[in-house]
Amino acid sequence: MVLMDSIIKLEDVSTVYEGERRPAIKDVNLTLERNELVYVVGPNAAGKTTLLETINGLLPLFRGKISVLGLDVLTQGRMVRCEIGYVPQDFMVEPGEPYTALDVVLMGRYGRIGTLHRPEEKDREKAVEAMRLLGVEELADRPMGKLSGGQQQKVMLARAIAKDPKILLLDEPFSNLDPESREKIPSRIRRLHEETELTTIIVTHDIHNMLKQCRRVIVMINGRILVDESPEKALATVNRSAAFSLEAIQ
Amino acid sequence: MGRALLACVLAGFLTGLMGVFVVRMRLSAIGYSMSHGAFAGAALGVATSMNPLVTAMLFASATAFLIGPVADKARLHADTITSIVFPLNMALAFVFLTLTPEIGLTSQVANVLWGSIIAMTNSDVVYLVTLSAATLAIIYFTWKELFAIMFNRKLAEADGIPTKPFIYLIIFISGVVVTVSLKLVGGLLIYALLFNPASSALQFLEDMKKIVIVSPLIGVAANLSGLVVSLFLDLPVGSCIVLVSTTVFAIAVLLSPKRRRMEV
Repeated sequence: MVLMDSIIKLEDVSTVYEGERRPAIKDVNLTLERNELVYVVGPNAAGKTTLLETINGLLPLFRGKISVLGLDVLTQGRMVRCEIGYVPQDFMVEPGEPYTALDVVLMGRYGRIGTLHRPEEKDREKAVEAMRLLGVEELADRPMGKLSGGQQQKVMLARAIAKDPKILLLDEPFSNLDPESREKIPSRIRRLHEETELTTIIVTHDIHNMLKQCRRVIVMINGRILVDESPEKALATVNRSAAFSLEAIQ
Repeated sequence: MGRALLACVLAGFLTGLMGVFVVRMRLSAIGYSMSHGAFAGAALGVATSMNPLVTAMLFASATAFLIGPVADKARLHADTITSIVFPLNMALAFVFLTLTPEIGLTSQVANVLWGSIIAMTNSDVVYLVTLSAATLAIIYFTWKELFAIMFNRKLAEADGIPTKPFIYLIIFISGVVVTVSLKLVGGLLIYALLFNPASSALQFLEDMKKIVIVSPLIGVAANLSGLVVSLFLDLPVGSCIVLVSTTVFAIAVLLSPKRRRMEV
């Protein structure tokens, strides 16, 4: 039997947004081992984004305990975030924003480089390498705000990967991609995950791609984990569930 | 005259530089509040015959502290706290000025209100030189973090950058810059020096590194032009500087390639 390290561990976690009374996620228990790739699906306001932002410590905990890479997110959040590549949902840069695509990708490494240290040539190489993996290296010197939604999404993925993270948290990272890229990019992420033993959580609405890409699916509804199964079983449960229709998560 | 020119150049450089961070980090309301905090402090200095620079610095720092860490701790939204602090500082400034009837609208009071290039002393120039060197050094060493926070604070935080200390640092330096430059344009107009050059540079440049270089240059040019205009027309130097820098902003908006593209 191969012993696996638990990389992400949530115990009875509830998160409440400031000014809200109802928790966005409730009593969530979740464990991810090293090198796991998990897809998270669910209808709008199911708590998917909250789950990711609770794991990386961007949202304060209301109750429970989270340990990521053996560190307590509550007290060592910054150290945890240095090891996480994160792509937020629907992140778009306004036209005219004074940043090139390479600037944005390189920024992904800043937390790792450390305060008062300046990026070196190897950091730049990592950024270019990540852009190459996503097929956007020719956009390096283009202003970020002038890129299409799909190109921006690839740049944001490159930013998360350039960091050399131990964990990837991707929130609907393929939603703006064209059909061809929707096929290619998830496969590249999976290959990267396999090659580098990245623990990866992807929030998606794309059920069909999900079935091809992973072995474990979490279905969330009303802030709770409803299903934590293989894609086929998860889909079957979702289809049987009266709680929400398949259309609701698509 | 040499001192006046040097003060104009340094104040234009510093406010133009800090303005980029204030505008890009969306700290404009905080900038107004600190400017008026410095104004209220200077008014207190005049009223109590203390050094207005010291009292202005104290008030600007207290305002920065209130709208930074204290507001964060109390979970008060930036809009809420600045909406309270801004009129409070204005009220205090006018109370301090009117509480000293024997002074009335003397030159000292006028200097606090409208600014005066003649009021700039050798010490002020030394402060400006020291502050310029310190600010440049701080920005050089923290550029990476500031660059990322200006792009998106939440993403910077997600990347493991502790954003709060850097934002407080910018608030604090801006407060000091505003205080030291206050004598030039006065408490009522100082924030224009902070925002106009940066807002102008942002109209036509798409590279943040260039913006950080060009904005202080616009600040210097506007200050020197304003000084020349004030000497020719015999008008208050602060008002002339603000009129020139506002004209620069209007021209930048009219000529902005970004705006033209948006209209297509």
